[in-house]
Amino acid sequence: MAIDGLIILDNTGRAIAQSGFHSFPSAYPLLHIDALNSALANSPRHTDVDPVIYVQGLNLDTPSACCHIRRGELRYLCPVSGDVDPLYAFAFLQTFVDILREYFGHLSAETLKDNFDIVYQLFEETLDSGGHPLTTSPNALRDIVLPPTLLHKVLSVAGVSGLASSSANSHPFASPIPWRKAGVRYNNNEIYFDVIETLEAIVNKNGQPAVSTVWGSVDSNCKLSGTPDLLLTSSNAQSLMDCSFHPCVRLQRWARDKVLSFVPPDGKFRLMDYRFAPATASAVSQAAVPFILRTGVAVDEHGGSIDLTLSSRLTTRTMENVYVELYLGEGATGANCLASHNASWTFNPKSQTLVWELKAVVPSANYTFRGSFTSTAENPRPSRAFSVRFEIPQHNFSAIKIEQLKLTGEVYKPYKGMRGTSFGNVEWRW
Amino acid sequence: MATLNLNALTENASRLGMRLQETLLENTRDLGIRGAGSAYMDNTEEKVKNIGKQLDSNSDREKLDAMKRLIALISRGRDVSQFFAQVVKNVASHNLEIRKLVYIYLLRYAEQEPDLALLSINTFQKDLSDPNPLIRAMALRVLSGIKVHMIGSIVMLAIKKCAADISPYVRKAAALAIPKLHHLDSTHQPELIKVISTLLKDQSPLSIGSVAIAFEAVCPTRLDLLHQHYRRLCRTLIDVDEWGQVDLINVLVRYARVMLPRPLASTEAGGSSGVEIDSDLKLLITYAEPLFQSRNPAVVLAVARVFYYLGLPTDLPKIVPPLLRLLHVSPEVERVVLRNLVLTASELSEVLGKSYARFLVRADDPQQVKKDKVRLLRAVVHVDNYPSLLREFICYADDADDELVADSIQAIGYVARVVPEATAQCLSALMSFIQSKHDVIVTNAVLVLKSLVQIRLQQQQSAIAYGGLPSHSFSPLEIISRLARRLDEIRHPKARACVLWLVGQYAASPETAPELNGVAHVGPEGIAPWAPDVLRKTAKSFAQETAAVKLQIITLAAKLLVLSPADRTIGLLNRYVFSLARYDLNYDVRDRARMLSALLSGVNAGIYGEGDDSHEDVGGVVLRREQVRMVLFEGKTSVGEDKVEDEDDHGRFGSMVVVTGRWAGSDNYLPDWLEEGTESSLRDTEADIPQAPVYTSQSSAARSIASSSRATPVVLSPSPSGSFTKQETAKAAYMDLDKFYDDAEETEETEESESEESEEDQEGSGSDEAASTGGEESEEESEGDEEEGGDDDHVLVQGTTG
Repeated sequence: MAIDGLIILDNTGRAIAQSGFHSFPSAYPLLHIDALNSALANSPRHTDVDPVIYVQGLNLDTPSACCHIRRGELRYLCPVSGDVDPLYAFAFLQTFVDILREYFGHLSAETLKDNFDIVYQLFEETLDSGGHPLTTSPNALRDIVLPPTLLHKVLSVAGVSGLASSSANSHPFASPIPWRKAGVRYNNNEIYFDVIETLEAIVNKNGQPAVSTVWGSVDSNCKLSGTPDLLLTSSNAQSLMDCSFHPCVRLQRWARDKVLSFVPPDGKFRLMDYRFAPATASAVSQAAVPFILRTGVAVDEHGGSIDLTLSSRLTTRTMENVYVELYLGEGATGANCLASHNASWTFNPKSQTLVWELKAVVPSANYTFRGSFTSTAENPRPSRAFSVRFEIPQHNFSAIKIEQLKLTGEVYKPYKGMRGTSFGNVEWRW
Repeated sequence: MATLNLNALTENASRLGMRLQETLLENTRDLGIRGAGSAYMDNTEEKVKNIGKQLDSNSDREKLDAMKRLIALISRGRDVSQFFAQVVKNVASHNLEIRKLVYIYLLRYAEQEPDLALLSINTFQKDLSDPNPLIRAMALRVLSGIKVHMIGSIVMLAIKKCAADISPYVRKAAALAIPKLHHLDSTHQPELIKVISTLLKDQSPLSIGSVAIAFEAVCPTRLDLLHQHYRRLCRTLIDVDEWGQVDLINVLVRYARVMLPRPLASTEAGGSSGVEIDSDLKLLITYAEPLFQSRNPAVVLAVARVFYYLGLPTDLPKIVPPLLRLLHVSPEVERVVLRNLVLTASELSEVLGKSYARFLVRADDPQQVKKDKVRLLRAVVHVDNYPSLLREFICYADDADDELVADSIQAIGYVARVVPEATAQCLSALMSFIQSKHDVIVTNAVLVLKSLVQIRLQQQQSAIAYGGLPSHSFSPLEIISRLARRLDEIRHPKARACVLWLVGQYAASPETAPELNGVAHVGPEGIAPWAPDVLRKTAKSFAQETAAVKLQIITLAAKLLVLSPADRTIGLLNRYVFSLARYDLNYDVRDRARMLSALLSGVNAGIYGEGDDSHEDVGGVVLRREQVRMVLFEGKTSVGEDKVEDEDDHGRFGSMVVVTGRWAGSDNYLPDWLEEGTESSLRDTEADIPQAPVYTSQSSAARSIASSSRATPVVLSPSPSGSFTKQETAKAAYMDLDKFYDDAEETEETEESESEESEEDQEGSGSDEAASTGGEESEEESEGDEEEGGDDDHVLVQGTTG
């Protein structure tokens, strides 16, 4: 199990940075960049490009594959030769992107170029030249590769960087717990939990959901001194299924008592992911889709008409940033629409997609959208479903609550905070 | 003169301006905090030259600046190896920041400039004793990266030293250096194995994953080294870092396959115990199972492999919920996991069927995902869930993606075949598709209907042969008649050709013809009433049809003539069609017409009309009607069943092959597993250990301390000699298996290419054969048969793949 290296491309397909491909000819990374770029150029929809591209090697007996992901405006490539589980490459790519985010916040070609020395240090520390991940825990990494703080920059400009930093990290890997830094001190001890839930649903033509699932994750920001041992009890833990956890969580306790017992890493981390499956008496344990979309789509020769009515099922909350999208099929040239309530619409001729955008959908109001589109195709084939995205701030589908947070091992009393946000991604067939 | 002066002046002015800007930039660079990094990126040639000077200076700041410039140059793909000597001098810098950058530079260039790197080898060796573990590890990494044969022993010493380091991080670096040294100089193998066996005793879970890597690289066959550690490794699995878990699990799975007895589902025991599983195997499975909850998809798949390759069939369903969870992680992960699920679909169809809703196709899924999802949905079709699945498939037929349309319509046909209750529903759906405005839908619906008809007719025939009466809700002939009536609505050439072939082939069915005769038979004798009308319609539109349709029109005409040679209308239609075909622009059509008319000369000589004497001098054997009938109708029953199922049999669960579908090189890390049942005796060696696994509650945080404090369990390891020989044969066996897989793949490829060629041959040979009918009459019967069958098979092939 080894990957060959890592390449970061900007949105035009040029390499910004790449790890050292020591045991490969210098054309090897170029070959993979080329393979990806030509695959992108040949595909009408960028999402249709296979995330694993087969690349014929320089000499015939060494075939390889290019695993790539796109996050933000950047693409990350991971050439792999030999029979390696592609998930290994994808897992590493995702981990690396998370590390970069941790270090630089928003990722763009500019930020990476500004901090290329750190990027290169990260390459060397996270990936051994043999292609095996080394240190990927952010806490351990921060000891070895200093994050670009303002102070650090000022010091480096003043020429005392090495002196200033060497005192801070004289003992990398000194911590007995691999994911937590040793000797952390805060004046205010606080820990925050963000519960982010996403409703993924498919609604049939008759308005009945074919499937509707709520996926959730608990992101945490921990600012606690010393080595705190936390015990988190949540209100309806019984209905959380298919969980996955940060390595810090004691799986045995969860399996037994459905409580989270862990020594948290310092700083931001994702504590757990779960699927919300309420243990109701009925077999259908599906979350309700919080809106109704009445659709009327008629397709004629060289065009068609669309008539939509959207109303919220929520009683108090407001849905925000609602996007209703429809792919109008190959050959769509334009649309002419009318949307009520100051909502706006756009037609993207490149992706041939019609988007109806509502900033806010309040309860007990009907939002209508009416329009027609034209197409060069004689029988246009629009997508068979609308894709609806929305968010509901300060809300959770699962209504999960932290009941108790016990701290042992330290003497202070931490301040805890919790916040919820919900997103939705619904396919509404017409 | 004045202009010249002016020119010179402006040139000088602009130069001055540039100069000023440059110096300004240089002066303000240090002040600009935000753009500090990008300033390093604009390296003019002058500054590049300056780097050398900066590196030699005494100021740390200058050196740091120079190093950053160098790294920036590297990132732009420039070769900066000329500074190697100057950089190496700074490796002993007391500034940690500089030192790290120097090491980054060295890691990149040590392999290209081994001679220069050798000059500084003393420094690296000294750094191996640095108080900072980071520097120690870095020094070892650079040392092992220098690819010079003669320093092999120095690297060996360094590895030995670092393998005994107090910091697990350095021990990890030592483990990772082992494969590199082995690659450089394999004569050190015995020593390296010693180091590996020392490192295997390591109590810290941090380095054990890297030891697994080293083990796989240096001595993958020495599984006997693991005897003492197997149980401890199983227990510490949960504390290892996620990447190490993947590597370690792979080693352990292989160990279990080679060294442990195969779990047997004891059926003859009377059902009291049920299964017989080795306690050590159970240990591995028990300790791997919690890792299904890992956040790392690679770990989850690795654990799924444990269950897939080692677990009992009854345990296999446990892999489904974790894998389904991964579908949600990211589109890329979804793609890979779906492939693996497809692989298991036949074994797990029952479990997957319960949660089919988790892989319904969304309109915005990428292509490959759509394809795999439909495959999975197909695989889980069952009497209980077919209504909703059928509804899904019908819905997908409206998709904007042609491939999904084809797949889903084929899936509807599949449902009709496997769930008899659904047949009526499926047929009405397929018939409604025929009226669609979109070619793709019509074509696929017709092709699927055609294969359904053929399969059903075949079943009927066999049922009659066995004496059982088929209890079908639809008559296949009725489908044909319905299709025949809709011919005007079916515009797609392939679909039209297909319908025409069906009409011709089943225009008369032996068991229905007499019955029909009894009731109300209006058409010519021996032919279904709708068949001549189809010929009439198509004869009318013959000139407008495409070549594929024309070929089928001629075939239809010939078949009808054979069935009912006495009918005058058919005879006339035949003559009309054949004379049109004879002067067609397409030579395939002309050839087919010639061949068929020659074939039919015994049945009805008047195809070309009385005035035509061109074929009268054709001598040789003239076939009787029965013989012609044999030639035209027989041998068409072999219907290509959809071969989607067994396409990927050689793919392995959780590997690259599954995704790319192509051979990915024989990797030593992941050998092919011994197939079950072939080598069961090999795993008997460990069977005599009675100690039952104690599943203690041990997990996370404090667990690392707990596991390290626990003494190594006493393992009664079998005599290494006995196990060693057996395991050697095992190795050989899987090497053969490897070869076997390769061979299988190759033959498959050649088969594919062959079939393509033969298809082409058949298309081309039509003309040859028709031309040779005059000379080689004796062979004509058989060849004509082949030709005819081949061409019709061509349609069939399209039907299954298109």
